Amino acid sequence: MTQDSSRLRLGVLGMVVLSLFCALLARLWYLQVLAAPTFKVEAQHNSVAVVYTEAPRGRILDRNGKVLADNRVVLALVAHRDEVAKKPEVLDRLSGLLGVPVDEINRRIADERYTLFKPVPVAVDVPKDTLIYVREHQVDFPGIEGLQLTERVYPNGTLAAQVLGTVGEINDDELAPRKAQGYKAGDTIGKSGIELTYESELRGQPEIAKLEVDSVGRVQRSLGLQPAVQGNDIRLSIDIDIQRVAEESLEQGLTLARKSTDFLTGKVFTAPGGTVVVTDPRDGSVLAMASNPTFDPNEFTNGISVKRFAQLNDPAGHYPLNNRAIQGLYAPGSTFKLATSVAALKAGMIAPRDTYNDLGSYTVTGDERSSTFTNARGARNGLVNVTKALTVSSDVFFYWLGERFWDGRAKYGTAAIQDVARSLGMGDYTDIDLPFESNGRVADPAGREKLHKDYPEAFPYPEWYTGDNLNIAVGQGDTAITPLQLANSYATFINGGTVYAPRVASAVLNHQGQEIRKIDPKVVRRTDLPAGVRDPILAGFRGVVSDPLGTGFNAFAGFPLGAFPVAGKTGTAEVAGKQDTSLFTAYAPADAPRYVVTAVLEESGLGASAAAPVVRRVLEAIAVKEGIATAPPGAVVRVDGHD
Amino acid sequence: MQAARNPAAPLRHLDLTLVLSTVGIAAIGVLMVYSSTRQKQGTAGLDPAFYLKRQALYVVLGVLAMTVVAVVDYRHIRDFVPILYTGAALTLLLVISPIGTSSRGTQAWFQIGSFQFQPSEVSKVALVLALAAVCAGARGSLDTPGLLVALGVAFVPMALILVQPDLGTSMVFAAVVIAVLLVAGARPRHIAVLSLLGVTAIVLVVQLGMLKDFQRDRLTAFLDPQSDTQRSSYNLRQSQIAIAAGGVAGRGLFQGTQTNLSFVPEQHTDFIFTAVGEELGFVGGVSLLGFFGLMVWRIWRAAVLARDQFGRLVCVGVLAMLVFQIFENVGMTMGITPITGIPLPFMSYGGSAMITSFMGMGLVLNVHMRRFS
Repeated sequence: MTQDSSRLRLGVLGMVVLSLFCALLARLWYLQVLAAPTFKVEAQHNSVAVVYTEAPRGRILDRNGKVLADNRVVLALVAHRDEVAKKPEVLDRLSGLLGVPVDEINRRIADERYTLFKPVPVAVDVPKDTLIYVREHQVDFPGIEGLQLTERVYPNGTLAAQVLGTVGEINDDELAPRKAQGYKAGDTIGKSGIELTYESELRGQPEIAKLEVDSVGRVQRSLGLQPAVQGNDIRLSIDIDIQRVAEESLEQGLTLARKSTDFLTGKVFTAPGGTVVVTDPRDGSVLAMASNPTFDPNEFTNGISVKRFAQLNDPAGHYPLNNRAIQGLYAPGSTFKLATSVAALKAGMIAPRDTYNDLGSYTVTGDERSSTFTNARGARNGLVNVTKALTVSSDVFFYWLGERFWDGRAKYGTAAIQDVARSLGMGDYTDIDLPFESNGRVADPAGREKLHKDYPEAFPYPEWYTGDNLNIAVGQGDTAITPLQLANSYATFINGGTVYAPRVASAVLNHQGQEIRKIDPKVVRRTDLPAGVRDPILAGFRGVVSDPLGTGFNAFAGFPLGAFPVAGKTGTAEVAGKQDTSLFTAYAPADAPRYVVTAVLEESGLGASAAAPVVRRVLEAIAVKEGIATAPPGAVVRVDGHD
Repeated sequence: MQAARNPAAPLRHLDLTLVLSTVGIAAIGVLMVYSSTRQKQGTAGLDPAFYLKRQALYVVLGVLAMTVVAVVDYRHIRDFVPILYTGAALTLLLVISPIGTSSRGTQAWFQIGSFQFQPSEVSKVALVLALAAVCAGARGSLDTPGLLVALGVAFVPMALILVQPDLGTSMVFAAVVIAVLLVAGARPRHIAVLSLLGVTAIVLVVQLGMLKDFQRDRLTAFLDPQSDTQRSSYNLRQSQIAIAAGGVAGRGLFQGTQTNLSFVPEQHTDFIFTAVGEELGFVGGVSLLGFFGLMVWRIWRAAVLARDQFGRLVCVGVLAMLVFQIFENVGMTMGITPITGIPLPFMSYGGSAMITSFMGMGLVLNVHMRRFS
């Protein structure tokens, strides 16, 4: 009985043991067979860390391969965090060596932009001696390593700053849409200019190192390395020599204006800024684009300080970061007469020989009151046709056209002049390959109504009066365009009607200098400009420079016009509450133009006085470059004139 | 020579299957301890084979201890049970005195040179012997006084171990007590009441704060493994990831990333099964459990075949000790039992446990080979 009872009890024990083993086997089956795929992924994530190191950016070159943006190798000391954590006394030694407080070094080491697996820079741009010292005393500096880092550098400083743009650390708004492209927090990205437009070419591909790491993040071994691919170079159509002359001339013109008295106000001109654009009318490529005041993009390379950034954005500094050529909006003044002339001739409203007797003023007989519009400085030009009117800049002639367009609006349309202006390229984005371009506007009745609806205080009248049509005919009023639009509309006129989207970049090169692809000129549209329309206007523009009565004649006194004929148009735009904007746009050689040079100087007076001499100096330099002239350009001189 | 002539000679009845399965498991253990420590040691610039050598030494010592225990007739050993029991109790008392050393809140070790000795491990064997001796007198039907004496015998070392506090080892004791009493003939009602008491006691110990926080967290982590990956359930999570990542075939010896990169804490000791799971896969895990099953079956068989009640109860005690540890340890790595610091017999790194397990095995072999003498 005892024996049986004992056997029974052992049997019970055996069953219990068996069931326990079955439980273990069942669980093992679940984990390793049923749930294994999900857990495997988790194990993978546990043990693999991916470290990205940015590739050096591609360079930016001028049209002749001269370097405008490059990479500089800087020496840096980096700290391996886990090793330094074990020996904190290293930081004291480092502090003594660098002359930086330990707290500051600790702050740099704690920088969250660097993953645990990547050494953190604790000192960038250190002298070579310091690096050698650390290497020679490596025993005293465990976990500290000397490295070469590359950083963006603009060897010519402020030259073409707004065109080249800046780089900086990617921010959250920029990062969010670019995560799929492999951007990581802490990466460098183009913030403006060419650096931004061609970011995807310049960036290259980062080095991707896959590392096996243990549970506390120590690197065990490399699982593979995809080496960095340096970004492609961008070749610009900018000519560094013309760019430099354009910037110098602009600076000289503005400085000179600040020393000159405005006869209207009796005060000196404030001349806070301006721009010079040089383009090739044959394909829209940009040879120079100067904007003043300017800045040094090198200041942005390692992160610009908040204080300095605020300074650069202070209204008192007149916004040096802005590229006035594409962001500045100016009333075009008399340069707009191009559009009025084309409109009148195209519409058949006037023939080239039709004249009007310019007696210095033009009176509009309105429904309720009459208004009188006068020439600038009350000049009396006598009998003028369209050619002569452009040469001497007769406002009266164009007032006459303005009124006729308005009176005949049933036939010509309510915005005949404006439509031509737009077809040439004014009042809309030029689609240049630079960011943050302004669109501007060409004022017309429909736009006036809309502006009034949207901003009733700034634009109290919804109606378009005859006077408005007189104003638009001479480029005054609410019309505001960018200097590039002005240059582009002249280029369109000169080349026979092809509107190009201006291009600053001309090709993408690999870093061996081989061309990967061309950035071809882009035709936006073509507008019909018959010879009968173009010729009288072209003659008018030539007269501006070469006719003694031409508004630009004085500015080009002594210029080798025989060898390098220049034509152009002055403009003086009145701006409410400000001194006049000085404009001049010219092209050369006048018979087969390859250059359009446009200058706009804010609050600097007459186009003939301030802008024309600046353009002249740029053209002088171009003439030297072309081998036509030999004497290097002299300083910009301010000339007296009328417009 | 005498053995060859005497059919009842103990050596003729040595259970080679049991010996081989045990040594086989221990050999796998040595390998897995090496696998789970070599890279970590190497990274730290230490000898990658340090734990391999140590564990191999423990196995050798264990086999020696097993041999010694098996050679002396268990009926002679029975005569020394009171001395062994008293000695074990006194050692347990000493270890909670200032002579003992503590680690992670538990005072359970004597430091001897670079080695640590854990008396609670060895006291398991003493308890098995003492319980078997006390209960064997009951001749198959344990009455209430006998039961109380047996419980009293178990109570002293259990209480001393709970003071350390070492809940895991106390639980092993409880399992041993219940198994031995069951086979010794305790009434089913008594067994039921005792089991209930045991569970209540564990709940009380956990609830009344006798445990350090980390111990309680570990114990309860398996109830909600997603709760807190930073602390105790991190062990559990990583442990399950390691086992599951092995899949059917395993990642190959020395190829497990969880194992090589130390994602599983205490892997070479309490979580050694995760190394098997990750590197040898379901096939390896099942094989290992198969070896354990074979071993346990042979122990159970020894109990069935035992010549006397003392021998039988010794086998049952050793069986309960090993099975409970296997189930609890393997179960905790897979998240079905609470995490307690119970080593996997013959596998986990550690000398005291290794030697104790081998001593228990020696007792079983002893009983088995002397069933005709």
